Amino acid sequence: MTAVFAVVKRLMASNRISFIITALVVVCATSSGDVVLSNGNYTWLLAVLTPFFFVFYDFTKLMHLGTSKKDYFFGCLIGYGFLAFCISFVNTVIHLLIEPVYSAQTVINMMDVCKWTENGIIAAGLQQMFFLLLVMVFLHVLLSMQAHWYGWLTDAVIVAVICIFTPIEPMRTVLSGFFRIIMINGNAGLHICICLLLSAALSLGGIAVLKRKTL
Amino acid sequence: MIELIQVTKRYGQVAVLKDITLSIDKPGLYCLLGRNGAGKTTLLKSIAGHQNITEGVIKVDGKVITTSTLDTGVSYIENFARHFNLPVRKLLRIASEVNPSYDYDFAAEMMERFELDGKKKFNQLSLGMKTMVSTIICLASNKDVVLLDEPVLGFDAIMRVEFYDMLAESFRKHPRIIIVSTHIIEEIAKTIQKLIIIDKGSIRFFDTLQSVGTKAFSISGLQKDVEAVTRDLNIIGWDTVGGLATAYIFDEPPKQSGSLEIQPLSLQDFFIQTVGRKGGAIR
Repeated sequence: MTAVFAVVKRLMASNRISFIITALVVVCATSSGDVVLSNGNYTWLLAVLTPFFFVFYDFTKLMHLGTSKKDYFFGCLIGYGFLAFCISFVNTVIHLLIEPVYSAQTVINMMDVCKWTENGIIAAGLQQMFFLLLVMVFLHVLLSMQAHWYGWLTDAVIVAVICIFTPIEPMRTVLSGFFRIIMINGNAGLHICICLLLSAALSLGGIAVLKRKTL
Repeated sequence: MIELIQVTKRYGQVAVLKDITLSIDKPGLYCLLGRNGAGKTTLLKSIAGHQNITEGVIKVDGKVITTSTLDTGVSYIENFARHFNLPVRKLLRIASEVNPSYDYDFAAEMMERFELDGKKKFNQLSLGMKTMVSTIICLASNKDVVLLDEPVLGFDAIMRVEFYDMLAESFRKHPRIIIVSTHIIEEIAKTIQKLIIIDKGSIRFFDTLQSVGTKAFSISGLQKDVEAVTRDLNIIGWDTVGGLATAYIFDEPPKQSGSLEIQPLSLQDFFIQTVGRKGGAIR
């Protein structure tokens, strides 16, 4: 277990660029008018950037240091869980403490848009955390596959699904229904369970990809 | 224990490893020799589980090795391995944290001995020093199988001597299977115990160095005399100039006779004769 936490520590340390970019965007982003975007939304950027570093920067280097694939995999999962908690915590704090002092009348935070705040702030924070975990695990698996033909095939399928499902009304309903389940879901319990189940399923897929990964 | 059973690796239509069957069952220092493109790196990477083979089975301590093996028990370091751009001391510390069996004291001692500046970042090191860091990390891993691919690349003569000492010391501290691939044959001969020669994807020789010393000879003289005396011997190479001939044998040497000159083969000559080519010509 010590080795796994050492991997987590290393993953976090080498993710410095993601932290800096996210912090800069959160601090520097401005919007004006009566309706403004909360700067807390930009904390999600960290969830998008992190898998790129874990997959493309850290994997080979950790392997050369003698890390086992198993420790790398669990290290990544723990890292994503930890970051999901931190991002959710910071955005929730911004939502509670900073947004009320905005001069604008309406401040849009994704926690409101996704109806998570309807369940209370703690549940909203948890929903956000598990959703971000799902996003990071999804990106990790997708990025890990890019060295193989099936990664490109998956990219093509995702693009095709979005392009085909969006303009056709019945299919658009299916697509929006999917996003309502995984993202814009007011039912906290259901939402968290679905995010966890999908994350677990994607993680299993991630193991399969990792097992084929060469150095 | 490393076991390769009918191992073949193909890249497209090109077979880089051809039906290799090999068993390394005792701890020791093994040297893997081969020309450029002979399949050394492919063989080592396959044993480490860094890539899959096309056919056959590789086992390490009874465990089948593929890229699917999440914990192989093999430590492999390639030349030009990239590491985190951190101070050397920190890099060695991290290696000890991510690998529970890592011998940090050995790594720190080697760092001092090779006068590696612990505060210097990895990317600021010379090629030789970078290779040294990678080699120290690999040797200190304390895994049961250690594979070093061209570890003396970029080393000066003094560093190479130090490296061979380090190799011997590491083995004394923790006897295990250590395979070193190199082109500098004569230097490593003092350190290693067994020799593996690979050529065109096939294992051409796997035996002790001692056997090379007692069985590898050149026999020179008049062609008819050389032919007569080597008729029943295992000839690995043959040179003729005019009416004179030199036969290279790996066998019990014949008795010295007046017209024949029998000389033991150096390791390098033995290697050249075994892979069967000199100056690119097939002999």
